[in-house]
Amino acid sequence: MPNKQHKGISYAKYGYLFSLPFIVAFLIFSLYPTIYTLILGFTDCKGLGNTDWHILEHPFDNFKNVIHNKSFVISLKNTITIWLMNFFPQITIALLLTAWFTSRSNEIKGKGFFKVVFYMPNIITAATVAVLFKAIFAYPIGPVNDLLLSSGVKDTAYNFLVSKSAAKLIVAFIQFWTWYGNTMIVLISGVLGISPDIYEAAEIDGANGVQTFFKITIPNLKTVLLYTLVTSLVGGLNMYDIPKVFLDGGPDNATLTTSVYIQKQAFSGSYLYNKASAASMIMWVIIVICSAVLFWIMRDKDEAKLNKEIKLAQKKAKLIAESGGKEWL
Amino acid sequence: MKKVLSVLSAVALLASMTACGSTSEGSEASSSSNTESSAADSSADECSESSKADTGSSEGKTTLNIWSFTEEVPGMVQKYIDTHPDFAAKYDIETTVIPTTDQNYQPALDQALAAGGKEAPDLYCAEAAFVLKYTQGDASSYACPYKDLGIDVDAETSAAEIAPYTIDIGTNTNGDLVGLGYQATGGAFIYRRSIAEEVFGDDSPETVADAIGGGSNSWDKFFEAAETLKGKGYGIVSGDGDIWHAVENSSDKGWIVDGSLTIDPKREAFLDLSKQLKDNDYHNDTQDWQEGWFADMKGEGGKGILGFFGPAWLINYTIAPNCGGEAVGEGTYGDWGVCEPPIGFFWGGTWVLANKDSEHKDALGEIIRWITLDTSEDGLQYQWANGTYADGGTKDAVASSAVMAKSNGELDFLGGQNMFDIFQKANAYANGKNLTQYDESINALWRDQVRQYTAGAKSRDEAIEDFKMNVADTLDVNVD
Amino acid sequence: MAVRKKNASNRAFIISAYVFCAFLTVLSLLPFIIMIVNATRSTYQIQQHAISLVPSHFLKSNFEVLKDKGSFNAFKGFKNSLIISVGATACTIYFSTMTAFALVAYDWKLRKPFFTFIMAVLMIPAQVTSIGFYQFMYKIHMTNNFLPLILPAIAAPTCVFFMRQYMIPSLPMEILQSARIDGAGEFRIFNQIALPMMKPAMATQAIFSFVSSWNQLFLPSILITKNEKFTMPMMVALLNGDIYKTEYGSVYLGLFLTVLPLLVVYFLLSKYIIAGVALGGVKG
Repeated sequence: MPNKQHKGISYAKYGYLFSLPFIVAFLIFSLYPTIYTLILGFTDCKGLGNTDWHILEHPFDNFKNVIHNKSFVISLKNTITIWLMNFFPQITIALLLTAWFTSRSNEIKGKGFFKVVFYMPNIITAATVAVLFKAIFAYPIGPVNDLLLSSGVKDTAYNFLVSKSAAKLIVAFIQFWTWYGNTMIVLISGVLGISPDIYEAAEIDGANGVQTFFKITIPNLKTVLLYTLVTSLVGGLNMYDIPKVFLDGGPDNATLTTSVYIQKQAFSGSYLYNKASAASMIMWVIIVICSAVLFWIMRDKDEAKLNKEIKLAQKKAKLIAESGGKEWL
Repeated sequence: MKKVLSVLSAVALLASMTACGSTSEGSEASSSSNTESSAADSSADECSESSKADTGSSEGKTTLNIWSFTEEVPGMVQKYIDTHPDFAAKYDIETTVIPTTDQNYQPALDQALAAGGKEAPDLYCAEAAFVLKYTQGDASSYACPYKDLGIDVDAETSAAEIAPYTIDIGTNTNGDLVGLGYQATGGAFIYRRSIAEEVFGDDSPETVADAIGGGSNSWDKFFEAAETLKGKGYGIVSGDGDIWHAVENSSDKGWIVDGSLTIDPKREAFLDLSKQLKDNDYHNDTQDWQEGWFADMKGEGGKGILGFFGPAWLINYTIAPNCGGEAVGEGTYGDWGVCEPPIGFFWGGTWVLANKDSEHKDALGEIIRWITLDTSEDGLQYQWANGTYADGGTKDAVASSAVMAKSNGELDFLGGQNMFDIFQKANAYANGKNLTQYDESINALWRDQVRQYTAGAKSRDEAIEDFKMNVADTLDVNVD
Repeated sequence: MAVRKKNASNRAFIISAYVFCAFLTVLSLLPFIIMIVNATRSTYQIQQHAISLVPSHFLKSNFEVLKDKGSFNAFKGFKNSLIISVGATACTIYFSTMTAFALVAYDWKLRKPFFTFIMAVLMIPAQVTSIGFYQFMYKIHMTNNFLPLILPAIAAPTCVFFMRQYMIPSLPMEILQSARIDGAGEFRIFNQIALPMMKPAMATQAIFSFVSSWNQLFLPSILITKNEKFTMPMMVALLNGDIYKTEYGSVYLGLFLTVLPLLVVYFLLSKYIIAGVALGGVKG
C-alpha cells in the first residue's frame, strides 16, 4: 500500500515537532554558554574582562593542572563523601515513607499532612538554612552547646564549626534534611502513576503490604527510581549551595566540594575562568560515566520494555493502517 | 488540574507580554507604572526615586547611574540633589543596590562596567574588602582620576586633612587618586571602664592605653595586661578575631609582593598570638559576629572582657545596640571608653569611584567633592560626624580630620568621652600600603588555617604549608 | 493466636511509624517556627540569641523598618517574583511534558541521540555556564528584562528526564492508538490524553520548578539592576546586605513574607500529590 510508508514518516515528524520548543530554547539561551564552558578549558582565559584569549599551545594544560591540584583532589573526595553520607539515609527514608504512605494495608492517618510537611525544608533558601544552622551550632554560646553543657554531656563547649568531621556531618545532614522530602514526593508521584488494576489484582491474590511493595511497587517504579538515582547523583556531585553558604568550603577545606572549588577558581580574585572550566569538564565526564553506569545497571527492563511497547504499537499501527488507512487523516 | 494549567499558561503568556512590552517600549511603559505607584505610596523612597528618574528624563534631565552595595551612598546623592536645587534642575539619579553578602555585587558591577553604554554606572562604590581591585587591581582601568572630575586633589585633600590610609588605598598605580571615602574606619581599643578601674586602678584612656601598650607597635604589653586581667578573672578580648585587623594592618608587606605570596613575619605571628590567647585562656574564644561575641558586649559571656578592637562604626552599630540598655546605667551603656590600640589599623569603609567613561564628569565631581572633601558645615562629613545627617543619626568618625577637629564626638555611651580625640589619631595611625586585591580571599584562607592550628588540629608548619597550598590552588599567585 | 500476634506487631509498627513521622515533622517545621518567632524579635535579641522559640513584641517595629526601607516593596517584589516564577514554571511543565512525549510516543531517528544529549546537558556543572549566560545576556542587552529568567525554562533537562521516566510505564500506547482511530490529531492527543494522565508528575515538577525559580538569587541579581524589577528574594538580600547595621528582625520578617507565597502555592499543588490514586484517566 502506498500510504503505509507515508504514515510512518509522518509519525517521526511529530517526534521532531514536539521536541522543537526545547531545541529552539536551548539554541537561543544555552548553546552559547555551553560552548563557552566547553571551549574555555582549552584557553588561557583568565582575569577580569579578558576578551583577548587564545587556545593554549598544549590544549590540555589546564586539565593537567586541575588534576594535579591538591585542593581539587580534596574537593572531589569531599564531594563523594558528603554525597554518600546524605544519599543512603535519604533514599532509604524516602523509600520507607513512600511505602508507608502509599500502602493500602497499613493506613497511617494524617499521611496527607506528613507528605506535605516533609517537603517543606526544601522550600527555604540555602542561605537561610545556612544562617540557621550556623546559629544552632554557634560556639562557645549557642543552642546545641548550651544543651550539651546543661545536660552534662560535655564539660566544655565544642566548636563544631572548626571541626572538620563535624562540619562534613552537618553539611551532609542539611543535604539529607532538605532533600529527602523532595525524593519522597517524586517516588510517591511515581507510585501514583502505577495502574491501580495491578494493585487490585495483588490484593485479590492475597499479597500483604511488604510483598506488594517489593513485588509490585518497586518493579513498576523502576523508571522513576532511575530518575531519582541519576538526579541525586548529578545533584550530589554538583553540590554547591549549602557547602558554599554554610562555611564557604571550610573549615580547612572539609566541606569544599568540586562546585565550590570551581566557583572559587572563577570568582575568588584571580578569575581563573580557564581552570574553572577545565574542572567543570572533568566533573562533567565523571558524572557522565557514573550516570552511564547507573543507566546500564537499571537498563534491562526499562529500555527493553519501551522498545517492546513501541514495536507493539508500530505493529498495531501497521495493522490498523492496513485495514483502514483513511481514518488516519 | 486543567484549570490550574490553563491559568498558569495564561498568566505566563501575560507575564512574558508585559516583560516584552516594557523592554520594547522602553522607559515609557515603566515610567508610567512608576508614577502611579509612587503616587500611591510616597513613603517608598526608592521607587519614587526611580520614578523621578524616569519622569525626569522626559523633562530633559540627565540621569546619573549610581551603583552601590548598601543604600548609604545613593541616599547621600539623593540628599545632595534635595538640598541643591540648581543641581536637581539638571540631574536625577537611577540607583542600583546589590548587597555583597551573597557575593553578587562584584560580578554584576564588573559586567555592567564592561558592557558600558547608557546604563553603565557613572558613580560606584567599593567596600574595603575589595576596593583594591577597583582602585589598583584588575578593574582599576574603569576608575576615573579625581583630577579629571575637576578636583584639585592635592590642595583639597590636604585642606581637609584626609586620613592618609584612605588616600593610599584610593590611589591607582599611576599615582592618581581615584577613590575616597567619607566615613573613617581607623580603629581604637574600645574598653569597659568598670573593668579597667578594677584592674588598672583608673578608667582613663591614658591609663588603659598605657597598660595595653597603646601606640607601642608591639603586642608585649598587651599580653602582660592580659595576664594581669586573668588574675582578676577577666579576659582581654572576646576572640582572636578581635586582634586580627590590628595584626593584619601592622605588617610591613602585603600578602603579595611582585606576584609571589609573602607571609610577613608580623602576620605569621598571628598564629602564635592566637594560640597564646587560647592556651592561656585570655579570651572567651568567640568568633566575631556570632552569639558569644555579642554576649560579651553585654558583659554576659563566659567571663568579663576588657574590650574590643574597632572603628567608630563598631561602637554605633554593634556594641551599643548589643550592650543591653539604651541609657546610662542600663546594661553596659556608659561603661565604655576608647583609647589608642597597641597597633594602628582600620576596619571596613566605603570608597566612592567615578566611571572614566561617564559623560557627566562635572556632576560627579560636584557630588564626590561634597561627599568626600567638603569640610564646611553643609558638607556631608560634618553632618555625618555630628549625627545630623539623618534623623536619629549617630556620631561617626569621618575621613577628614579637619571636620572631626571642629565636631563634637562626645557620646553618653562612652561616658561622655570625645571619641574624635582618639579617632583622629587612629586615622593617621592606620596603614593603607600593605593591601592587595586578593586580601579578601587570602585573609579567609589564612584565618581558617590559624583556627585549625589554635584548635590543636595541626602543627604550626602544617598550617603554613596548607595555607600556601590553598593560595596556590585558588589564586593566580606564585607560591614557593 | 496468629491473628492477635499480627495485630500486636501491626500496632507496634503503627506506633513506631507515628513516632518517626512526628520526629521528622518537628525537624521540618522548626525552621519555619524560628523564622516566624524571629520576625517578632529585635535585632539585638537575635544577635544575642539567634534561635529562640519565645516570640517577642517587635513585629510591628520590624514591619516599620521594612516599610521605611524604600527598597522593600513587598507588593512589587511579589508581583515580579510571581511573573517570573509562574512564567518559568508554566514553560517548564508544558514544554518538558511535550518533549518527553516526543521521546516516548514517537519513533524517530534522532530520538536516542536527542535523549542522550538532554542527559549530557543536565550533567554540566552550572558555575561556569552561568557566567557564559549572563555575559551573553549583557552582550545582547537583555538586562532588566524578565525574559532571560523565564524563557530558558522551556529547555529544562531535569524535568524532561522526569516526565520521560514517568511516562514510560504509565502512558499506554494502546490508548493513543485508539484515540488515533477516533480521528484525534497528535496535538489533541497530547493535550487531552497525555497531559491529564501526567497530573501527579506535573504537579510534582511544578512545585520543584516554582520553588527553585522563586528562590533563585544569583542570576536575577546580576541581570536585574532596576529597583522596580527586583524580586522578593533580592529585596530580602538587600535588607540582609546592609553590612554595618543589619536589621535582623526585619530580615526574618522579609524571609517569612518571601516564603509565604511558596507555601500557598505548595499547599494548592500538593492536593495532587496527596490524593490517593489519581490515575482515573487511564481508562479513558
